Amino acid sequence: MANFVLRPAQPKDVSDILRLIKELAKFEEMEEKVVLTEKDLLEDGFGEHPFYHCLVAEVPRDHCSQGFSVIGFAMYYFTYDPWIGKLLYLEDFYVMQEFRGLGIGSQILKVLSEIAVKTRCSSMHFIVAENNKQSIEFYKRRGAADLSSQEGWRLFEIQKEDLLKMTAK
Amino acid sequence: MDYKLRKAEPKDVPDILRLVKELAKYEEMESQVTLTEKDLLEDGFGETPFYHCIIAETQGENGGEDLNVVGFAMYYFTYDPWVGKQLYLEEFYVMDKCRGLGIGSGILRHLSDLAMKTRCTGMMFVVAENNEPSVQFYKRRGAEDLSQEEGWRLFRFDKDSLVKMATPAEE
Repeated sequence: MANFVLRPAQPKDVSDILRLIKELAKFEEMEEKVVLTEKDLLEDGFGEHPFYHCLVAEVPRDHCSQGFSVIGFAMYYFTYDPWIGKLLYLEDFYVMQEFRGLGIGSQILKVLSEIAVKTRCSSMHFIVAENNKQSIEFYKRRGAADLSSQEGWRLFEIQKEDLLKMTAK
Repeated sequence: MDYKLRKAEPKDVPDILRLVKELAKYEEMESQVTLTEKDLLEDGFGETPFYHCIIAETQGENGGEDLNVVGFAMYYFTYDPWVGKQLYLEEFYVMDKCRGLGIGSGILRHLSDLAMKTRCTGMMFVVAENNEPSVQFYKRRGAEDLSQEEGWRLFRFDKDSLVKMATPAEE
């Protein structure tokens, strides 16, 4: 069992959070799409009104080949379903390659589930790319249901330029 | 028909619940609405609001002082780890008798304005794949189907699964 600690993120973790976001984006071949800065993460996560929350996984620095102590994270926030109320939304979830298979991911999910139950959320939602078979299995093994499949939901987005067009009308 | 858009207030909670149930009924899911006025009040107008609402109001039929709530949009802010804040449109409904009068467009314009003011990079929402009128309504305004373009699928852990995950397994 790996020697690791899970804890809520603090302002000092912002550079590690950004590093891990970029690492995950790189894995999806989208690294240049990350335009967020440490300053944004600091203001948005640790200001008067946090727009997101993070759990970070930490190991002793000398256990990581690259000398980092923060080796995994989960970013989440609360959403609202008009039929049942509060939900926990899991936005990003990543453990560095060299620390996979040690139960860190499972532990992160366990803590998130506890947070969801404590804050009286009715469920946890998240999206998964349909070709990410490993992640789909990881979640299905733990009881996750594919709502896109079961209920036909499709995720849409209106980007800034089109939002601006609408404001001008 | 003249209408007015404004931020929801605590007094609007009964109308919000009425419209939530009306929309659910249209989807033949009315019995699934377990939320109460008390929940909506605590969750929307407490110390930390978990949602926000825009209300559409029209004058009463006899042109008197009466104002009727005929539509609403429920939204909240989400966070994209690549670009930051997003506005998430959770629910959006205009009563049947008030359709085709520009109220829906007006609500979307108001939300777009709000998204720009709060420095959001986009607006997101889900649509049922068989809801052709809504899909077209959004696509006409530039919405992209990310499920189609990027293959995203929405997943859920329900309460039972959460409780199972939160409790340690029996030794």
